Amino acid sequence: MTAPQPSHLPHFPVEISLDQCIKCNICTTVCPVSAVTDLFPGPKYEGPQAGRFRTPDQLNPDHSVDYCSGCRVCNMACPTGVKIAEMNARARARMVEQGEFSLRNRLRNNVLARSELAGKIGQPLAPLANLALANPLLRELIAAVIGVHRHAPLPTFARQRFTRWFRRRQDGSRPARQVVYFHGCATEYYEPRVGRAAIQVLERNGFEVIVPPQNCCGLPLLSNGEFGAARRYHASNVRHLAAYARQGIPIVGTSTSCTLTLKEEAPELLDMHDPDTRLLAENVFDLNEFLLDLLERGELDTDFQPLPATLPYHAACQYKAHRLGRPAVELLDMIPGLLILESKAACCGIAGTYGYKVEKYDIAMRVGRDLFDFVQQSGAPVAVCDSETCRWQITHATGLPSIHPVELIAAAYGMRGEGGVERVMSET
Amino acid sequence: MKTLQTEVLVIGGGATGTGVARDLAMRGFKTILVEKRDLTVGTTGRYHGLLHSGGRYVVKDPQTARECIEENRVLRRIMPFCIEDTGGYFVGTPWDDPEYAPQFVAGCRAAGIPVEEVAINQMLREEPLLNPMITRCFRVPDAAADSFLAADANVESARQYGAQILTYHHALELIREDDRIKGAHCLDLVGDDQIRILADMVINASGAWAGKIAASAGIPVRIIAGKGTMIAANHRIVNTVINRCKLPGDGDILVPIHTVAVIGTTDVPVEDPDRFAIQPWEVDLMLEEGEKIIPGFKEMRMLRAWAGVRPLYQETQASDTRDISRAFVLLDHQGRDGVSGLVTITSGKWTTYRQMAEATVDLVCSKLGVERVCSTHLEALPKPGYLHGKKAASRGTANSAETTLHAPESRGYHQLGAPLREIERGQAYGDLVCECELATLAEVQEAIQAGAQTIDDVRRDVRLGMGPCQGGFCTYRVTGLLHAIHHPPVEKSNVALRDFLQERWKGLLPVLWGQQLRQERLNMLIYHSLLNVAGLPGPKASPLAAEMYAEPERGRAAPLGQTAVTEPELTTASPGGQATGKVSASSPTLDVLIVGAGLAGLTAAWQLARRGKRVRVISQGWGANHWHAGCIDVLGQQPSDRASAPAGLNEVLHHWIAASPEHPYALAGLQPLEAALEAFKELCAAAGYPLLGSLERNWSLPTAAGAARPTCLAPQMMTAGDLARPEPALIVGFERFHDFYPRLVADNLSAQGIPARGVSLELPILERLRFVSGRLLAGLFEGEDFQAQVAEALASEIKRRGLLSTDFERVGFPAVLGLNCPLEVKGEMEALLGRPVFEIPGLPPSIPGMRLHNLLVDEIERHGGRVYDGMAALSADREGRRIGTVWSEAASRRKANRARAYVLATGEFLGGGFATRPGGLPREGLFDLPVAGPDQGRPWFREEFLAPGGHPLFRAGVQVNKRFQPVDRNGDPLYENLYATGSLLAGCDVVQERSLEGVALVSGFLVGNRIDQT
Repeated sequence: MTAPQPSHLPHFPVEISLDQCIKCNICTTVCPVSAVTDLFPGPKYEGPQAGRFRTPDQLNPDHSVDYCSGCRVCNMACPTGVKIAEMNARARARMVEQGEFSLRNRLRNNVLARSELAGKIGQPLAPLANLALANPLLRELIAAVIGVHRHAPLPTFARQRFTRWFRRRQDGSRPARQVVYFHGCATEYYEPRVGRAAIQVLERNGFEVIVPPQNCCGLPLLSNGEFGAARRYHASNVRHLAAYARQGIPIVGTSTSCTLTLKEEAPELLDMHDPDTRLLAENVFDLNEFLLDLLERGELDTDFQPLPATLPYHAACQYKAHRLGRPAVELLDMIPGLLILESKAACCGIAGTYGYKVEKYDIAMRVGRDLFDFVQQSGAPVAVCDSETCRWQITHATGLPSIHPVELIAAAYGMRGEGGVERVMSET
Repeated sequence: MKTLQTEVLVIGGGATGTGVARDLAMRGFKTILVEKRDLTVGTTGRYHGLLHSGGRYVVKDPQTARECIEENRVLRRIMPFCIEDTGGYFVGTPWDDPEYAPQFVAGCRAAGIPVEEVAINQMLREEPLLNPMITRCFRVPDAAADSFLAADANVESARQYGAQILTYHHALELIREDDRIKGAHCLDLVGDDQIRILADMVINASGAWAGKIAASAGIPVRIIAGKGTMIAANHRIVNTVINRCKLPGDGDILVPIHTVAVIGTTDVPVEDPDRFAIQPWEVDLMLEEGEKIIPGFKEMRMLRAWAGVRPLYQETQASDTRDISRAFVLLDHQGRDGVSGLVTITSGKWTTYRQMAEATVDLVCSKLGVERVCSTHLEALPKPGYLHGKKAASRGTANSAETTLHAPESRGYHQLGAPLREIERGQAYGDLVCECELATLAEVQEAIQAGAQTIDDVRRDVRLGMGPCQGGFCTYRVTGLLHAIHHPPVEKSNVALRDFLQERWKGLLPVLWGQQLRQERLNMLIYHSLLNVAGLPGPKASPLAAEMYAEPERGRAAPLGQTAVTEPELTTASPGGQATGKVSASSPTLDVLIVGAGLAGLTAAWQLARRGKRVRVISQGWGANHWHAGCIDVLGQQPSDRASAPAGLNEVLHHWIAASPEHPYALAGLQPLEAALEAFKELCAAAGYPLLGSLERNWSLPTAAGAARPTCLAPQMMTAGDLARPEPALIVGFERFHDFYPRLVADNLSAQGIPARGVSLELPILERLRFVSGRLLAGLFEGEDFQAQVAEALASEIKRRGLLSTDFERVGFPAVLGLNCPLEVKGEMEALLGRPVFEIPGLPPSIPGMRLHNLLVDEIERHGGRVYDGMAALSADREGRRIGTVWSEAASRRKANRARAYVLATGEFLGGGFATRPGGLPREGLFDLPVAGPDQGRPWFREEFLAPGGHPLFRAGVQVNKRFQPVDRNGDPLYENLYATGSLLAGCDVVQERSLEGVALVSGFLVGNRIDQT
């Protein structure tokens, strides 16, 4: 058993992992942001190094930490297990608390971070809202006043919310096993088709899917240092969902950012270690992870139709951060005829709300350039990615539609597809 | 002999001496101060960092308590920038007598010390790591103080008032004529001159050495040297001074000072103030006492230990030094011994230094018959010059992105975050010499120019080398800077480097376990293997080298050879508390799981994948490839002597294997080694990145320090730098790139017979950037524009320096010539410069190493293998005599990795495969394999950091059979399906031997080819 490090002991804050840093700078060489801009001196500087100079009662003067995109590539490459990304996130939160952000930027960050609110307001006005947000003049105005870049890949509101569709369909059968689906804001307001595919795949495998009341996972708030609000959101999800975990019902999600937040980011960044939070964390699964689990037990329906296609796949940062390897690829490898080309790019650049900001949009586009080139050179009809914001960034930068892996699974099960995946199916 | 005449001569450059010098100078006395080394090298530079409120003394020594609180107020007024207003707590732990607290409070009130009880939950809110079992807590005005800075400030003031401060002037003896002291004979250590200083009055402020000074004039002054040991924890665990609420004892104060927290201290009388040891029991005691204040303290990273000696004057023969009165002692030798012209001031606390100085100078005034009033408590101290260095480092405009709401440093106190703020204001991220402690180029240059004689002197001024890496990176940088600024003979720079490495080592030895051991192993990789500092010309140590501590008594560190002899206990239950919930699925069965993505693990994976096996490599991050030279070292134990033709490497290996039958090379055999090297060369050639060389002989390539480094296979990117060839070289660096010093390299090469010149280029594009890293340069070099700019700048620099084209026939750069297409970059540069170009690997991270890593990973993935970082292996399940599953860390759970066979390639201390704890033996962390050492009863480390034979601990490792399966004492494999490769193998010290890549390659190759069935 590896020797216990203080950072593994629950009552020590995450900052104590800075003791593990041996200053080797591997993190700085892999950081996709400091590779393209000198506004960010690097993960080692911001995290374990600056961390030794921060005290809770003193103003944190270090604004460059705001240029950390939270992609966590540094964490993965660190040979000693320093929790760099978490340290940076908490430093940013303290800056927010101390009023180090300008009013404009704080307002802007909050607007971007309230995806659920945006959805609640914008979706009912879907066609109008979409039209407005596509208007270049309005975007210029928004950029100038609020600080959201005029080219930032804002998603389009769906015509119908996912939960609305879900509640309308009544399924007579009562399968023995149940699973909870956590849809997240993206599926609910922008891409209900992903949710539909997920439901169908789960039902095909003999599950009754429950979609209980739930709210935004709070990740955009966490990423912007709005810890107070994030804590309320997360506590609310815990209240809604822990009961299912207690009954042994797994909670499954297709949004890799949401599932990672419920598993780890929220509890760690917010120091939430109560039993219910932990119970929820331990019972949340990425959908691919869940399906592979079934496969391992011989319970997965592997009757896949061929889908001859060669598609580029990008493992989002928030996907790699689950530290499960590449479950999506392992799953898709089972579909006959489907060849997955994996990108070697570290990050698409969008990093949640990061790439939407006027001062960071260009950085984000530079960070993602290798990925965009890769996708374009593949000559494929669509790109595949587990994270919604990455999908929007890829589409924005390459013009190619992008889909979630579950949509391919659904297609391989012979289900009717929507959106980008239709292109794949039409070519088979 | 030179003679100086003055009114008052002060001997001793600690707090007392510098305080006295300032007071004298302010009162108009012509003053000279002599200090045998740098200021504060004695007790003042080794103390706890505490500005006492006096609370510690209220019960046992109320007089001292009163003195402390008075001076506490004065110092806050006159030197706020030396003080961080942390406040202090006195806490009653379960180990403390509850009766003491009320006495303590009463005592504080009586002494006039503000004291306030704090509710425990409030205390825990402010200091969450404190022991929750603490029952009482009192706040007092303790603070943290920087004694180096304070002494420098006093000296700055003294100078402003006309005093002369002579450091590195050793007062050898007092000049006594009958019953008068007329001055002192001193030795100028730097100029190596004797000088005589005559004075009307001599003040003996030499602290623990006061007895020696007085004795030189036949005056008996008995000083007991009371040694106190302290340990610094790696970071600020607390932000308030924490005292135990009890009678003063050992290890009962924890002080946050700058970026560390210091636990101390002990009190042990020693014979000689110059030579004493840090005993293991003292270290243990500090850890135990720290644990009482902070549960979990023992598991935290300890940065460094040091010891100083308190001077305790005694008229009588008391044996318990802690009972001797703490008040200071002022001896008028005229009255006491009938000898005029001498006054001794000794003992006392740092907090009361100014008061001590005042009393001393008052006495001097009365002796000299003048009436001059002290005003040291009224006038604020000036800031020393190097403090302005941070502000001077300004690169472009201040950050305008967000509004800045900097809190004005309230009342001028130092704030922990101040350096961070200054660097942000000046956008000086790219100008850091010491990254850990944020010491900027400007500060370091100031300190050097202000008269630093050794790197240790620079350290005292700007905290260089005092952070987690303990000089790992900045020692090299500051040496390069010293060399560039002063242009001394290169041997002087080399010895300065060696001296400082040794000085840092001295304080690391007592706490070398856990993360700090891992850090030091990286430092050894850098200075021994990468830079080959031992191979640089010049003496091993200079006369100015710091004194090492004496040998400790045999204590804690258990001798090797007594490691785990029982069968390892593998459980099927989940370890630890966390992640016991749902287990995540593993994928369909793998053939082989490899733990560790260094060269050994990747080589095994490559060979297996090539043979069609399903392999997965999991790793907690990247490793040695990213740090080392990017070459394949097979054996280079003796630094290759450029002058003589090295014996063929083949021959050397034959002898080596014969002499060390337990070495991995002996187990593997020469033929597989050769096959592995050839295969690797083929792979690299196919990837368009050829490696050149063979077992015929080693290359002799230049290091970034300018030494010669032997290696077997070198990338074509480096071979034009072969030092076996005589062609003169031009070494090129960049002004903004602080990881490479061309002048140091060139001067060292020249001193070894290769004519070389060094130039440093200033490029507008680099000037505009906030920081310039190796990775960034590598990216820039892949653009034609940048290549052209470099060539142009080089041409004009050559012209400016008056160099002729015949002066150099090859051009050396730091190893940053592109990450993805280095050979193209090299070709372009050669075309532009008209000469062969070569790279010189330097400080990590290593671009050449990353190239090797990338091409290996590409090849593995091409054959369907997977390499994952961020997946730390936690534990393993045994199924009979087989390994069943290896669990790796995932978000909120463990991931099961099931394979038919497993390869352990986690490295030794550097890679993280072995771990140590205080007082513990090295353990292999994943399978709990027995770690065997070479010899019983030997100490783990040598006194010399760069000891030629290496350190015994690093020969420890996992014993394997010829199939590279870990074996038990009888030589039988512990598990049927487990293999071990790389530096974790027993019988080798891959850093000291320079065999890191060779051992990795041959063991990985063999294992990768031999795992068949499962």
